[in-house]
Amino acid sequence: MSDSSSTAPGETVAESSVLACPACGEPSHDGARFCEACGTPLAPLPPAGGDPAPTGDPTSTGDPATGDPASTGDPATDDDPATDDAAATQPATSDPAAPAARPCVRCGGTVAEDGYCTECGEPAASERDHWAERPAAWVAGVCDRGVRHSRNEDAMALAASPSADDERAFAALVVCDGVSSAPDSDVASLAAARAARDVLASGSQEGAAPVTGEPSARIGAWSALVGEASRAAQSAILATVGDMADRENPPSCTFATAVVDGPLVVAGWVGDSRAYWVPDEGEARQLSVDDSWAQEMIAQGVPRAMAETSPQAHAITRWLGPDAPDPVARTAATLPDRDGWVLVCSDGLWNYCSPAADLAGLVRATHERVGGEPQALAGALVDWANAQGGRDNITATLARFVRSAAPAPDGLDPDLETTIPTT
Amino acid sequence: MAEFAAEVYQNEFLSEGATDVHAIVTVTCTGAGSAGSAGGGAGGVAEIIMVDTSGSMSGRNIEAAKHAAQVAVDQILDGTWFAIVGGSHVANRAFPYPNARMAMVQMEPGARAEAKRAISMLTPGGGTAMSTWLRLADQLFATVPQATQRHAILLTDGKNESEPRANLSAAVRDVTGHFQCDARGVGSRWQVDELREISTALLGTVDLIADPAEIAADFEKLMRASMARGVASADLRVWAPQGAQVLFVRQVAPTVEDLTNRRAEVNPLTGAYPTGSWGDESRDYHVAVRVGSKPVGSEQLAARVQLAVNGEVVSSGLVKAKWSDDESLTTRINPEVAHYTGQTELAAAIQEGLAAKAAGDEATATVKLGRAVQLAQQTGNDEATSRLRKVVDIDNEEQGTVRLKRNTSTLDEMALDTASTKTTRVRR
Repeated sequence: MSDSSSTAPGETVAESSVLACPACGEPSHDGARFCEACGTPLAPLPPAGGDPAPTGDPTSTGDPATGDPASTGDPATDDDPATDDAAATQPATSDPAAPAARPCVRCGGTVAEDGYCTECGEPAASERDHWAERPAAWVAGVCDRGVRHSRNEDAMALAASPSADDERAFAALVVCDGVSSAPDSDVASLAAARAARDVLASGSQEGAAPVTGEPSARIGAWSALVGEASRAAQSAILATVGDMADRENPPSCTFATAVVDGPLVVAGWVGDSRAYWVPDEGEARQLSVDDSWAQEMIAQGVPRAMAETSPQAHAITRWLGPDAPDPVARTAATLPDRDGWVLVCSDGLWNYCSPAADLAGLVRATHERVGGEPQALAGALVDWANAQGGRDNITATLARFVRSAAPAPDGLDPDLETTIPTT
Repeated sequence: MAEFAAEVYQNEFLSEGATDVHAIVTVTCTGAGSAGSAGGGAGGVAEIIMVDTSGSMSGRNIEAAKHAAQVAVDQILDGTWFAIVGGSHVANRAFPYPNARMAMVQMEPGARAEAKRAISMLTPGGGTAMSTWLRLADQLFATVPQATQRHAILLTDGKNESEPRANLSAAVRDVTGHFQCDARGVGSRWQVDELREISTALLGTVDLIADPAEIAADFEKLMRASMARGVASADLRVWAPQGAQVLFVRQVAPTVEDLTNRRAEVNPLTGAYPTGSWGDESRDYHVAVRVGSKPVGSEQLAARVQLAVNGEVVSSGLVKAKWSDDESLTTRINPEVAHYTGQTELAAAIQEGLAAKAAGDEATATVKLGRAVQLAQQTGNDEATSRLRKVVDIDNEEQGTVRLKRNTSTLDEMALDTASTKTTRVRR
């Protein structure tokens, strides 16, 4: 596994001069003393050539999975020599035992030992409540507690190759939304997302079992691997929750993924977290089809707006967890004919803009406003959902799709964008 | 070594748009030791006893007061700096003798015997100007800067008649923060408001002693309590977030004292309120803070309530605000906050009712004292109820309907007034 396709969960992989604001996730540049977006004071950078400063590296302030037994088996942090090297050259200032160094998320003030800001009284942000991942410059995600919920039961896990321009550029976006009526779903969702991400990463060119062949042939292989990833996620939940599986309401979560492999995008899902294709122009589409009561109603002819606002709209018909009826993801593949964004998100985002056209409008307008850096864009989408009320946990993950200049793959017309249902 | 603990009682849930956060913080001190034990020994402690020697004291009062002062002297620990002041329209140092070189001396068996002899020679005569007593005590304390724990007892039987009221107020203002003072009135001819002004500003207690024979026991108790205060001085600190407003800070147990205007700034967000010395005891504080409303689901810290000794925080309580749309949470009334809100109103109702009665406004007096009866019943303050019964006839306790008694004794009214700020604890 290459260092490019593996990221320590919770880590913001940044280029040497780009750091993320600890408060809002906005990337900031070398020497910046305050965040451009929210004005949060930024800690001084370590000496030139050093790794990201402590404030830009959430791993120095704790892993979102603190206390999560599944995280000990994470190959990204355990086996990867590149990651180890990076750890060895970490500046001495990034002492993991000094979490209090993280400034207040609201005003940038000092957070006291009692867990509240000394200036504005804001509670200290927990890593699990808000974090960003950015495994490559073209792939990033932001996972946030939202406003109304007291816990963040959403989780995400990302992997990517370094450049979007490669012929076999690879990205895997995984989002799992814990079911808030079931306690400990936050633990389950994070374990699930990571396990699935690792299975998908094994199919990349740098992975343990690379998917090979022409794009048309790879569709089947990726669809199978997505199904395997959802089963691995299911196993990870069972391993994590242990005895809690016997509860009447055991921890459970949704699953949604999108894999980018060169010209190909393969989506997979269990439940109502979604994958969208948002081209820079033209018609956007929802790649996934919700396993939900609302979707069943829509299929029976009930208008979307009515179905999605009904009280049972969020009742899902499939999920992952000890009592899951069927853990294998359904999949769909597409070969986009132009540049655009692949977006995988939880209902905390899409609830406020469910139709693909509305969501595309939001993504394009936000892209115009904050630029095409994926972490800034994901952060802005999360901020937007919070501004709409933040009634649920919010996760937005993005991969920048660049249509390869390579010739059209045999047997597939590159100008004809098609979704190929594979199940 | 003294240890402090702070417990917070509040309903942290606020409904949408709500801004005011109320909390009762109970601060408990354990292991205080005896006065001076925290450092410097008894040499860090100073005591002054001020005895009224005006002409009105002649007879039983002066004899009882002298006996009481001697009993109090017996309670002062060896090594403690002390002095005896006799007060009339002027103040005189009775011990150390006026011709002595030292203004205060350290207690030891010889000094104790000599002080008792000096007390026995006090003779009544002249008027009453308590400002001179307080100013002399302040000068005496100033000669022993090494004594940081300073306490005085003031005993009078009459009105502060030999000087304008403003003189007393000015003296109280000038000596505030220099020493603590418990004030006692014997008989029924002294003014509750005068002694309350002294004891409130000087972080002490005020009480009525109906019978001169009881002075000795009271002095013994006061001095013993003072000698058991191992923590010389502590501040209550209240931090409120940027943009918030501290509505009030009150001590609500064992007595009601409004501390709001005694704030000294520690930093722009933190104020310090003096609480005097501490023994093994527990005091309750009611803190109210107004914060900016936040969206439902948000949480923020509304106040840190801390106790600081020598500038160091020794205990901290967190007052929180969580906005919720769950009415079962936001409408819950915290029993501690409700209890002390009632007790504070009870104290005010008693004082206002008695003031109205004294001014001849019977209608207002009836309403206020009726409300007091109702509050005393609701908050379970049986002592207040029994004192109120001596001043009013209660028709209906729950409704607060009362009739003013005719020919009530002045002593009963004064007893009700002086005890009005005493609170009962919440039954937990």
